[in-house]
Amino acid sequence: MLNLENVVIYRDDKPMLQLSAEVAKGEVLTVMGPSGAGKSTLLQAIAGQLQAPFSVSGQIKINHVAINDVSAHLRKVGIMYQDALLFEHMTVGENIAFAMPDNSHKNKQMKYEAINELLAAVELDGIADRAVNTLSGGQQARVSLIRTLASEPLVVLLDEPFSKLDVALRSQIRSWTFSQLKARNIPTVLVTHDNDDALAAGGDVIEII
Amino acid sequence: MFTHATLFARWCLLLLLCIPVLAGLVGVIFPALGYFPAIGANGFSTQVFVTLFTLPDVWQMMMLSLFTGFGSTLLAVIAAFCILATFYQSSLLGKIQGVLSPFLVFPHAAAAIALLFVVSPSGIFAAIITRLNAYLSHVFTSPFTNGTLPINEMASISEMALPAANDGTLLYDDTGLSILIALSLKELPFIMLMTLSVMSQPLVKKKLTGYVQVGTALGYSPTASFFKLVLPTIYSQIKLPLLAVLVFATSNVEIPLILGPNNPSTLAVAIMHWFNHIDLSMRLLASSAAVVQVAVSAVAVMLFLGGEQLVKHVGKRSLSSGNRYFADAALRACGFTVMAVYIILICAVVYTVVTYSFAKQWHFPLLLPEGLTLLHWDTAISALASPLINSLLLGVMVSTTSITLVLFTLESEQLKPARTFASNAFSASLFLPLLVPGVAFLYGLVWFQQLVFQDAVWFHTYIAHMVYVVPYVFLSMAVAYRRLDNRYAMVAQSLGKTPWQVFYHVKLPSLFSAIMVAWALGLAISFSQYLPTLLASGGTIPTITTEAVASVSGSSTRLTAVYVIIQAVMPLLGFMIAWYIPAFAMKKQRRQMHSEGSLDYVDANTVHKERMANIRTKTTRA
Repeated sequence: MLNLENVVIYRDDKPMLQLSAEVAKGEVLTVMGPSGAGKSTLLQAIAGQLQAPFSVSGQIKINHVAINDVSAHLRKVGIMYQDALLFEHMTVGENIAFAMPDNSHKNKQMKYEAINELLAAVELDGIADRAVNTLSGGQQARVSLIRTLASEPLVVLLDEPFSKLDVALRSQIRSWTFSQLKARNIPTVLVTHDNDDALAAGGDVIEII
Repeated sequence: MFTHATLFARWCLLLLLCIPVLAGLVGVIFPALGYFPAIGANGFSTQVFVTLFTLPDVWQMMMLSLFTGFGSTLLAVIAAFCILATFYQSSLLGKIQGVLSPFLVFPHAAAAIALLFVVSPSGIFAAIITRLNAYLSHVFTSPFTNGTLPINEMASISEMALPAANDGTLLYDDTGLSILIALSLKELPFIMLMTLSVMSQPLVKKKLTGYVQVGTALGYSPTASFFKLVLPTIYSQIKLPLLAVLVFATSNVEIPLILGPNNPSTLAVAIMHWFNHIDLSMRLLASSAAVVQVAVSAVAVMLFLGGEQLVKHVGKRSLSSGNRYFADAALRACGFTVMAVYIILICAVVYTVVTYSFAKQWHFPLLLPEGLTLLHWDTAISALASPLINSLLLGVMVSTTSITLVLFTLESEQLKPARTFASNAFSASLFLPLLVPGVAFLYGLVWFQQLVFQDAVWFHTYIAHMVYVVPYVFLSMAVAYRRLDNRYAMVAQSLGKTPWQVFYHVKLPSLFSAIMVAWALGLAISFSQYLPTLLASGGTIPTITTEAVASVSGSSTRLTAVYVIIQAVMPLLGFMIAWYIPAFAMKKQRRQMHSEGSLDYVDANTVHKERMANIRTKTTRA
């Protein structure tokens, strides 16, 4: 469960965004609002990747533990952007293996099988050895999702993840994403411009004015 | 842990840049004020400066330094902008970059020697002109021989023509024109490539493309768009490098030493001679002259800034005048002419130097040598074995440590961004070694180094090289680092990777080709150092460059030609390694990954990749 208690985002010490929210396991909280309202900055605050001139106050809790002072890489908060951002010096399989926690699998073979299983869940069987830049946009988006899930995150943040996909592809990837997140009971925060995204997410919607 | 290490690297870098320069300056200011215990001068006075200014030639030296430095920079800046304005939207731009890039890594000493070869009174141009003159006069005076020259007649012509070729030569002229031209030839590629690198930063590029489109839509010619829209946008980013070029030009030693007048020489050359004088008391004079050199460079900078204000003022008016053209035809002609000059010079230099290196005898004004031999190469290679090893050792050490320091420093800026003031101070310190004339602080540095560790010659030389290599490696890496999409690092972090893992597994592989290029650049700069090597090592570590400069006044022309070729080839080899290793690694990786082979090849350029990715997401379906 993700709790945001009196979270205020500051830009140069001036408050720009204020909210409190609770996201239960398997739920999606949608944050909407105009560009520059601080939606992406909110996600960066939750992920622990806030950079100057921004700062945050209030409590961010995952499963009732405040994580404000935890380093970004220890938070177990996965983040996805509108670009798939797959590492191009690694194969598809290596991208996913890179994301898996250390010691998550007994040996290489088991890891490899786990990777293929994850890929099969989004109908991408047998592409583990492909170079990333040979994938289509839709395939890249799905691998990016799988990679995030492979890191076993406690919370997932989605920063307009569907906005660069064309319309037909978008609804498909969207339903895949939400069903995978729901199946794993992961609380999710979605930032978007698109009303369809908010409807498909099916959770609470916070609109920033 | 890793964060602390990077922070430590940043401090190391800062101290490495500041301490030698500041210590060096102190080390010349004290002797300049008459304090030099080694020769029993213990009191402070301004007597040394009084002595300096009573020298008959000192004002002329200062003027010569100022004129050649300022003039060459001005000429190079104008010519570089002409070329850019002519070609910045043309498909020839890549080719022009290809022609000019070798000049960037060609050491100053080698460039000066090469120019000496082609424009000397017995050089290839003089030979061609003499032959043409002789040929034409022969055709006109003896119309019945049908223009073909019997061999014995040719010999008589060559004897006749020799004295004539000595007139009107450019070399060693008292006004310093040869220095001015040589300096601008060497500076232009740097200014141009640096401007292009600013223009190709993704954010700047996007903005400029938009500006030029608007300009074109409003009816402005490409040249006018360049001067009225592009240049004002990027000027603030290229200003500091331009000033560094200016300071360098006013205080350079190699080029005036090889090409310039000797009576009087430029101030920097005189300083060098005084410092190296057997009479130690000349050191006082040299130190005061070094302080004056700083002032001369400062005056040049002030002149430049004044000129900049003037141009800005006039430019503002021309902006609102609405004139759609900007001397287009003239500037185009200039651009093409300058490029033609470069191409002709490159051809002439390559031909002359290579031919000389194999020539048995080569008499003026023959265009071909008489007989070929490998003798000079044999001699040079046996003589150069140890300088070559010294150059390589120093270069690899200096370049590898500076790239490590620079990478950690860049990483620390992202992990723990400094406050505005600190980061400004840092960028200023980065330019410190480039904005203080080398000839001024290096001697002071040597004085300090002899006080501290007298025998650590390699260490001193290493530090002196680092001072010059680090800033360029930093500038070159910083561009690539800023181009890297920060979200990759954020994604890796959100996958639970520590800062070190992000740096090692994500950033280093993505930056691999840029790192190799910066490494080769560091290598090339270290190879080309003349004064720092000579001074810091006290002449005990001969390198290719110091040997080449020494050979100009000594041994045979043909041996010097070999030295020049080796000097030119070494940095190029570095760059070839830098280009081929990443390409080779990628090919190998690709072959391992899939054997289909028909899939399109994407190189390591992130900008390029992003564009490809965009096209894909727009046009393909899963």
